[in-house]
Amino acid sequence: MAEFIQLLFNGLVEGSIFGIAALGISLVYSVLRLVNFAAGDFLTLSAFTTYFFSVDLHMPLVIAVLISVVIGVVISLFLEFLIWRRLRKSGAGMLALFLVATGVAFVLRQSIALTFGSNSRKFNIDQIKTFEFLGAQIAQAQLVVLCCASIAITSIAIFIKKSVIGKNMRAYSDSPSLAAVSGINVQRVIIATWCISGAFGALAGVFQGTVQGQFTSGMGLDLLLSILAAVVLGTIGDAYGALIGGFVLGIVMELSTWSAFFGGIPSTYKPVVAFSVLVIVLLFKPEGIFGVKARRI
Amino acid sequence: MNAIMQPGFWIFILTMSGIYGIFGLGLQVQYGVGGILNFGHVGMMALSSYTMAILVISHGINFWIAAATGVGVAALGGAFLGLTTLRLRGDYFAIVSIAFSEIVRYVIFNSDNITGGAQGSLAIPAIGEGYPSYTNAWDSIMNHMRDFLQPIFGDIVNREFVMALTIWSTLAVLLLIVSRIERTSWARVLRATREDDEVPAALGKNVFRFRLQAVIIGSILGGIAGIYWALESTLLSADDFLTIVTFYGWMILILGGATKVKGLPFAAIFFGFLYGGTRFFTFWPFSMVDSAQRAYIRIMIIGVVLIILMMKRPQGIFGKRQEMVLE
Repeated sequence: MAEFIQLLFNGLVEGSIFGIAALGISLVYSVLRLVNFAAGDFLTLSAFTTYFFSVDLHMPLVIAVLISVVIGVVISLFLEFLIWRRLRKSGAGMLALFLVATGVAFVLRQSIALTFGSNSRKFNIDQIKTFEFLGAQIAQAQLVVLCCASIAITSIAIFIKKSVIGKNMRAYSDSPSLAAVSGINVQRVIIATWCISGAFGALAGVFQGTVQGQFTSGMGLDLLLSILAAVVLGTIGDAYGALIGGFVLGIVMELSTWSAFFGGIPSTYKPVVAFSVLVIVLLFKPEGIFGVKARRI
Repeated sequence: MNAIMQPGFWIFILTMSGIYGIFGLGLQVQYGVGGILNFGHVGMMALSSYTMAILVISHGINFWIAAATGVGVAALGGAFLGLTTLRLRGDYFAIVSIAFSEIVRYVIFNSDNITGGAQGSLAIPAIGEGYPSYTNAWDSIMNHMRDFLQPIFGDIVNREFVMALTIWSTLAVLLLIVSRIERTSWARVLRATREDDEVPAALGKNVFRFRLQAVIIGSILGGIAGIYWALESTLLSADDFLTIVTFYGWMILILGGATKVKGLPFAAIFFGFLYGGTRFFTFWPFSMVDSAQRAYIRIMIIGVVLIILMMKRPQGIFGKRQEMVLE
């Protein structure tokens, strides 16, 4: 039982990180119809910049995280003006968006590897301190991540639901042309979307770096597939769905290693578990858990 | 600069571009004709090369049977991918197909006892022996061909030369076959499904079955590329089959113009130069960074080329713009 609670808690922490990252990807998709394959590398980038400011430059961790979030937002906006806006204007199709996103991911990942090298990094935090809860060992770092992630998730949910920009976003993703003729400032919606996606990607990267302990320049790429699985599971383009998809996958991936469950699947197969869940769900519900309209072929 | 003057350098580039050309041809059938966004193509390469190598090394099966089985397994992989996920919307299929190839790689990487996993060796050699190899049968053919060709072409002929020649002959034959396929009514139906599902469906065509067939044919081509890859690299590792390899194929496809086969060999050579050539960029300004960093820069260049290509010339060098924009 202690093992179950332990795994459940680990899954909750991992799920909150997946959820945050998936939300950014899903939001970008809902507004821009773009599956951002570079999102994983934004996670890596923020983990490394946080490391750079907090460990190399001895800044307080909170400041370092804030700077990293700003960097994530700035680079997202920079790419919007340099690449995405032009692609939209030229009427680029799905393939062009996919391939450009992949190209951006390559450039970003190799730049990180080139700048920071291939050594693994570690934040300067107390990794050892744990609390005991119902027989499970809960690390302080995990608890902090879970709390911060919950705050981020709650505030973004309220933002999308209540704020004017949030409402504009939903209207625009439902029908871009209808939103544009009803006077919604499309440019502002797109910029807000990239800001949220950049900031949440950065947060997810720092959280993952914290929970994981050590990280290398491949961290984001390793996570990307599970995050994409969460995005698709919660119906691509649905922000709340992405959050729930993230939690579901995080918990399922952890629980799959539970020894009472067929002796437990080896933990190296966690991403395989994530995608098996996804494929099974898609077989029965091809539009994701929350999808409504089905397009047949 | 010296390396670029050597014939070995050009032969290496030709070999690589030939393998990736066959690989890209598989995507050509899937996307160029059927409009299917398969981003898990490298998984077929992994399936065929590992199947072949395991059958030869661990079970002592004849190379040709093993290679045919390998390509068959790749086709089965394509059928599995198609049957489970091809009914999904295009973007969903793209994501799930990436997952397929990554799962194949994960399983190979983690099944040490069957595949050698991270070490990349299928079996541990006995003391005093080299690693058991699956290339023996192939090598003897290569040697025969070398002995045959040497009097004609002179000293330039070595194993690598014969290998490049074989691969490009295969590519030429496959290009012919695919261009024939693309003139059939089968391809016309597929091309119609690329623009719109409803019309061919209304005409009584089973759109799903046509797409599934395209995926399987593409997977067979990916499987053939995998066999050549295994023969060329002589030591397989799970890291040979990262998702990035799929995008090498996509790059060749787009460069050559996705809807036309004739541009593909030129695009493959261009890619081969980008991929293989940059390894030999040891002169200034590249001499300022070490070889590991040059590997990073190489992938970065490929990323930049992908971005610029899709932004400035999405129809490739030979393609029709209208067909690309419609999707």
